[in-house]
Amino acid sequence: MSMRPVIVGGGSAGMAAAIELANEGVGSVLIDEASRPGGVVFRGPLRGGVDVGYLGARYSKALGKLHADFATCARHIDLRLNSRVVGADNQSLMMLDEQEQLQPVGYEQLVLAAGCHERNVPFPGWTLPGVMLLGGLQLQIKSNVVKPLGRTLIAGTGPLLPLVACQLHAAGAKVTGVFEACAFSRIARETLALMNKPQLFLDGLSMLGYLKLHGIPMHYGWGVVAARGEGELSEVSVAPYDQAWQADLKRVQRESVQTLAVGYGFIPRTQLSQQLGLAHGYSADGYLRAECNAWQQSNVPHIHLAGDMAGIRGGEAAMLTGRIAAVSILHQRGVLNAEQAIERRERYLGQLAGIGRFRSGVERYTARGPAQVELPQADTVICRCEQVTREAIDLALQQGVQDMAGLKMRTRVSMGDCQGRMCVGYCSDRLRAATGRADVGWLRPRFPVDPVPFSAFKHLGTEA
Amino acid sequence: MNKTYDIVIAGAGVIGASCAYQLSKRGNLRIALIDDKRPGNATRASAGGLWAIGESVGLGCGVIFFRMLSSQAKRQAHGAAVAVDSSTPHILPQCFFELALQSNALYPQLHQELIERHGMDFKFERTGLKYVIQDDEDQLYAEHIVRHIPHLQAQVRWLDRKALRETEPAVTDQANGALEFLCDHQVSPYRLGDAYMEAARQNGVDLYLNTPVTGVLHQGGRVKGVRTAQAGDFHCNTLINAAGAWAAELSEWATGLSIPVKPVKGQIVLTERLPKLLNGCITTSDCYMAQKDNGEILIGSTTEEKGYDVTTTFPEISSLVQGATRCVPALADVNLKRTWAGLRPGSPDELPILGPVDDMPGYFNACGHFRTGILTSAITGVMLDKVIHDEALPLDITPFLARRFHKVATPA
Repeated sequence: MSMRPVIVGGGSAGMAAAIELANEGVGSVLIDEASRPGGVVFRGPLRGGVDVGYLGARYSKALGKLHADFATCARHIDLRLNSRVVGADNQSLMMLDEQEQLQPVGYEQLVLAAGCHERNVPFPGWTLPGVMLLGGLQLQIKSNVVKPLGRTLIAGTGPLLPLVACQLHAAGAKVTGVFEACAFSRIARETLALMNKPQLFLDGLSMLGYLKLHGIPMHYGWGVVAARGEGELSEVSVAPYDQAWQADLKRVQRESVQTLAVGYGFIPRTQLSQQLGLAHGYSADGYLRAECNAWQQSNVPHIHLAGDMAGIRGGEAAMLTGRIAAVSILHQRGVLNAEQAIERRERYLGQLAGIGRFRSGVERYTARGPAQVELPQADTVICRCEQVTREAIDLALQQGVQDMAGLKMRTRVSMGDCQGRMCVGYCSDRLRAATGRADVGWLRPRFPVDPVPFSAFKHLGTEA
Repeated sequence: MNKTYDIVIAGAGVIGASCAYQLSKRGNLRIALIDDKRPGNATRASAGGLWAIGESVGLGCGVIFFRMLSSQAKRQAHGAAVAVDSSTPHILPQCFFELALQSNALYPQLHQELIERHGMDFKFERTGLKYVIQDDEDQLYAEHIVRHIPHLQAQVRWLDRKALRETEPAVTDQANGALEFLCDHQVSPYRLGDAYMEAARQNGVDLYLNTPVTGVLHQGGRVKGVRTAQAGDFHCNTLINAAGAWAAELSEWATGLSIPVKPVKGQIVLTERLPKLLNGCITTSDCYMAQKDNGEILIGSTTEEKGYDVTTTFPEISSLVQGATRCVPALADVNLKRTWAGLRPGSPDELPILGPVDDMPGYFNACGHFRTGILTSAITGVMLDKVIHDEALPLDITPFLARRFHKVATPA
């Protein structure tokens, strides 16, 4: 029991896990790729002296509390910033450190809390400069403290849309409208479920009030169709979406904007959990995620999953799952006995239950309509790294390609630098529709998760 | 649910797909190509070198294999590993040269044919293969190779230090020179597999992907089909075993005799896309390097007997990276994008196992291609098509028959 637990990802889940361990005097190694801990939700501005009041009082308070709690535990936490975990096996992680050198990091217990990435939805013009993903845009106003130029249109689904619209407006950006793909009646139907988190529900209502007050129209049952512009975005087409998210092209409206933020949900990062060979399954939304039990343990008990990696549930749930993973580790290390561990776990699980019911409501109304995959035209690029068009994917499907690996070989989708993070959602949806099978395979991410320079191997041992 | 075909091919890697393509050209056969995607499929994992001479003399993939054998032998003899030594040749028998060279000669025409008739381009490129000589040991080995292939002198060229610098400016100026094999080229391996398969499909072959074969059917002392869970029973007159690293099990089911095909793991490293850095394929005594049509440089490969394990391991990856950087220093500033491992269908004498089996009509082997399946896929398809139809073969199949493993030793 000499090695410390290692936590991959210093976001809400990872920080909460480190704090829970530290409160019992257990030190940990916390690795994060950014220059500040906090993850996409709580990283805060990357430069000092910035007032983030425009992000809302409740957010500023939560941000302040998390970082203060973390600071009081600092002596127990070996924080490795600007460091990326690019590979893993059952004994150690491979980390690219601040000096861009690879070094193995051994672990006794592991918490994987690497979060998620956004789901890309391809449509004509989606690769134009000025078209961004919603979470990315929010991260800019949160941590880089950069706001978009000119008029911004927001399209997608879920509670993040009105939130970012409010934050953008409060930060002084011009928001022309919010286009929620789901019909209002479907959201209304989930009221009971959403009331499981009364504060969040109220926040939601007050956001809608805020938008109304400032003349930002909220359109339900509308979605993006295309983006246009010479070299950069100048116009976005939106249209009514039916239940299946089939766009009604006879009722297209054009909006003149410089920024389009697209937010159609998230996909857990599974690069490391897959490399570790953990058991995975598919969510109702069709994404792959590692499986875990009530202790947040994967099928390998000393490897834990926390936060969105184990399924998308948002920042508050991430902190609770991080804490539960830490409780499991405290029990595994003999710091807590079984009774103490279960008692504490049950407390966190109780808080998680309300979030769970709230999230189920959100998941039901944000469920992707199957017709949205028809938006790209024949020449629309699907895989940006390899410039593979929809036409090439259609041809491969006609030729009988049936799974991700086959599609990859036939078209080169996902063979680029991002290893498929951007196109996997679309390709998986198309394959499932074409074959009628739920499991069409997923991309098998390889070492390294992100490209690493050859010079990074300089100090690493060889087989000789 | 049951299906009837003339020919069932188990395995749609480059070998099975090549057989399917050649047989489909006859136009009068009902053919099923059955495949189950398993981790380690060698077609997808391969480098795509058509290194007919290079591989026959133990370079390319083979140089590392040879090094391993040599160090194992030395370790057994002296209790310590030593480097390659030129006194232990690793040159394959003449019958393999013939197979490799005949196969190699088919590619220009095949490339043309698959593009024109089927719209599939497997990216055949004339590159040559240069064995870069970095020390005295390499020099001895190169000289040793040249002595053993007098009949191929026209295909071999010595490059001195200056000539090497001129043709491959990215190669280290520490290199003494190179031995170039002029007829050794490259393709995109997975595109080659897909090209055969799609052409076969266009010619009417039925594809059953993600369909594992679970048993072999017999009737009247011959193979009459295969069993699958997903698609039921397939009845046929002829079964071709093209199951790659998994061929031994199928042979056992079909003939009751095992064939010595074992998975031999190879790890590979791939760079990001680069502008043209290498003008041809390169092999050293550490690794080989092939810059592919899209600018990525593929660096291989290890030779490991680890069963069906396809994990990548850091010390082995690191060895390849450092070996490559030693020969091409500019790689230090390049990004490594991806690594993977594949399973070569290894045979003990490094020769493929082709053709019929004694006392089991209806069954044919097309397996055990070890590290040269991409290169020899073209001739394998041709040989299987002809041997099944009892037609004259382009070369003697005897050395490749499974019989060679089942001979009963007769006392002298």
